Amino acid sequence: MIDFLSPLWLIATAAAAIPLFIHLLRRRTGARVDFPAVRYLARAEREHSRKLRLRNLLLMLLRVAAILLVAAAAARPVLRVGGGGHAPTALAVVLDNSLSTSAIVGGRPVLEDLRARAAETVRRASADDRVWLVTADGAVHGGGRAAVLDAISRVGPLAGAGDIEGAVTRAAALAGEAPLREREMAIFTDGQATSWPATISSGRVRVRIYRAPGDPPANRAVVEAEASPFRWTPRGAVLARVLTNDSATYRIALEGRTLARGTAAVNEEVMVRASPPERGWTAGSVELEPDELRGDDARYFAVWIGPPPGVRVLPSAGVFVASAVDALIGAERVTAGKDVTVVPVDQAATLPALLIAPSDPVRVGAANRALERLDIPWRLGSPRRGESAVRFQSSAASDSAEGVNVTFRYSLTRGAGAYADTLATTAGQPWIVSGPGYVLIASPVDPSATNFPVRASFVPWLGDIFSQRLSAEPGTVSNATPGSVVARPAGADALELAAMADSARSSTLPLHDDSLPAPDRAGVYFFMRGGERAGALAVNPQPAESQLRRLELTTLASRVRADDVRAFDRSGELDASVFASAPRRPLVFPLLILALAALLTESVVAGGGWRRSST
Amino acid sequence: MSTVVPGRRADLIDPATIASLGHIEIVARWVVDGFLTGLHRSPRKGFSVEFAEYRPYQPGDELRHVDWKIVARADRWVIKQYEEETNLRATIVLDVSRSMDWRGDPGRLTKLAYAERVVAALALLFLRQRDAVGLVRFDDRVRTALPPRARSGQWRRIVTALDDPGAGRESRASEALEEAARLIPRRGMVVLVSDLLMDPEDVVRNVRSLRHAGHHVVVLHVLDPSERELPAAVGGANEALFVDPESGLELPATVAEVRDAYRATVDGALREWRESFTSLGASYEVVTTDAPFGVPLRRAFAARQRLP
Repeated sequence: MIDFLSPLWLIATAAAAIPLFIHLLRRRTGARVDFPAVRYLARAEREHSRKLRLRNLLLMLLRVAAILLVAAAAARPVLRVGGGGHAPTALAVVLDNSLSTSAIVGGRPVLEDLRARAAETVRRASADDRVWLVTADGAVHGGGRAAVLDAISRVGPLAGAGDIEGAVTRAAALAGEAPLREREMAIFTDGQATSWPATISSGRVRVRIYRAPGDPPANRAVVEAEASPFRWTPRGAVLARVLTNDSATYRIALEGRTLARGTAAVNEEVMVRASPPERGWTAGSVELEPDELRGDDARYFAVWIGPPPGVRVLPSAGVFVASAVDALIGAERVTAGKDVTVVPVDQAATLPALLIAPSDPVRVGAANRALERLDIPWRLGSPRRGESAVRFQSSAASDSAEGVNVTFRYSLTRGAGAYADTLATTAGQPWIVSGPGYVLIASPVDPSATNFPVRASFVPWLGDIFSQRLSAEPGTVSNATPGSVVARPAGADALELAAMADSARSSTLPLHDDSLPAPDRAGVYFFMRGGERAGALAVNPQPAESQLRRLELTTLASRVRADDVRAFDRSGELDASVFASAPRRPLVFPLLILALAALLTESVVAGGGWRRSST
Repeated sequence: MSTVVPGRRADLIDPATIASLGHIEIVARWVVDGFLTGLHRSPRKGFSVEFAEYRPYQPGDELRHVDWKIVARADRWVIKQYEEETNLRATIVLDVSRSMDWRGDPGRLTKLAYAERVVAALALLFLRQRDAVGLVRFDDRVRTALPPRARSGQWRRIVTALDDPGAGRESRASEALEEAARLIPRRGMVVLVSDLLMDPEDVVRNVRSLRHAGHHVVVLHVLDPSERELPAAVGGANEALFVDPESGLELPATVAEVRDAYRATVDGALREWRESFTSLGASYEVVTTDAPFGVPLRRAFAARQRLP
């Protein structure tokens, strides 16, 4: 089989028509010449016409052949010849080592089979080939066959899904930019449907896909686990959801200590309340019994646990607030103390405090002076009377605070550039606002001004305010998948790498950039500030990675856009398909030799040498 | 004066070069003088003459013909001229058809110009041999018919006749050869100077008739070198429409393609002419217009010398 490396030059074969036209039109051109011996010419043509026709035909064929041969040589033809190995090939091997490939099928991990198949393929590479290995996390290994084989043997499963699309794209670029004619990409994957959601373009690289044989195992996984809220004082809850085909037993642990055990039904959301004795930033996990895919049998969360805040209510704050705080003290949500003060604005002297607008508008001036003294950007304005509904910004609060109205309030104005958070609005204006160490209510907490204190939602709301808004700021929790990029929290200067999975190795990683890559292993990591924990990073695999359903071979092949894509689940078929390009030998030189021979013959025939030798 | 260029004989110089130096009469004299110089001695001596008249001496005249008595008496150099008793009556038949008025290269003479100078020289040579010479010029008809004479003014008449216009459309040699036969009442010599682009059967038939009448026939076949072998590009073109100026026959041809075949055909035609004439006992010589005038002169003269 003959291929052309520069097929556009084949257009030049059209030039072969030139001698053909000349041959056909040659008697219709030329000058008019007086020549007395025309009778001899006529006689010569008559007597030698057969020989002349043959000669002209031979000349035309030689000229056409010469043009065709030169045009064909310009198109750089190569001849595929069987035997003798394969053509030099640039092969990029994509090895899917996502979490799902660690599932046990047939008594061994899928990744082990994929590694073996990939190694078999790479061993068939010759010294003239170029080989790369690209794994699902985007890592590239090159340096020749031996180096790639070594890299394949050391590939382990990721803790997450990785980025198959990125790996395929990168491998296509590697093979596509190689200075070799044959370019292939061999993908070894478990064909997990969630890893191949869309079509990936691989350019002009030939693609061969090996999908692990067999059916995926039934999988149980913890696909959701979080502390709610992330700051317990010290009471809180753990929310979890389990992917399972039937009921599954779970265990919730804090720092390895079992917090709760239970059985989750199919698609049931689990919520476990707790008031643990631990304090400070704590790592937790929700775990299932081990199954064929171990990597998603546990999911990690972080929680900050502290004592309940001490609250002091000044008498002038009103009886409704005092009664609510008493109820919270009785429920051990808060304690009687001085951590947080509930006080009318005009009497506020310290923070943190829950600030309540004065009942008498005469006190507005004193209230604004107190706000200025406490460096709070809000100011109370003119009193407004008239009933208006309240809209809470927090969805949880809005659900339970349905029907809250305001009949008397002060307008709130804010200074430019100051940080503030509006918690509730009424009539399109802020009503409850918050900031560092304060929460300001623009009405007296009294039924004459609002029905909020007599609503059932008031006490829980007040408890959340004390625990989440007015307690000391412990930091935040960041959630990430393995290897993803995470923003560095403000003030964090290091990351404590002592995860639950490997608590024996405790070390810290200094942080300098505004972002950092999440660790490759699932677990809980803590942000440090001045040697103290100042936040947490919970790393868990993507929930979709626990869905092990595989794509059919044809569907899998359709997820890669290329000129030639084929998918197999048998290694023999793959071996026959990779490195299948027969070695090619260039035909340029032989064609040029033939063209030269044709031209030489043409010159001999045209010059009469042929005639002399034939007569 | 026997040479044009000191040390070189005019009969051996390139014909176009010598023809450019003077009128046909002068050129013919140069050629004949050069030719005779190469013969060393007069081949024909001792023929009897009868006195006819005097004429003034001219440089080159033999001193033995000077009348010394008149020189002594009147101090005037005169030559005695005699009514010669000729040995041979020859008629030169010249083809002046249009095909003769052609040359393949501007640097050469046309076949007609070449032939006219050959005829003039040949006539002069014959006259100097004391032979009677006549001239017949023809194309599609006889244009000139001068009976053979041995008088000294005969050559002048021949040269004058050569200046007459000719170059008619086609060649018709039979009539001319018949006219030549009529002009020579007894056995003589007929020299046909032509490119022979005419019907061979007519020519052969008339030559046969001349031979039957006892005449010796010499045929000088004049060819341009481009007719003998086609040049690479005729008229500057490789592809050309070749037109016969006489018959109007047109033939498109590619020179490179037909060159070899043409050469073979011309060789065959010349061979046929030679076989036809030699079988009749006629002399046949091929002369190309790039050959010095001495070549045709020598061949025609050699034929003359074989006659009694």
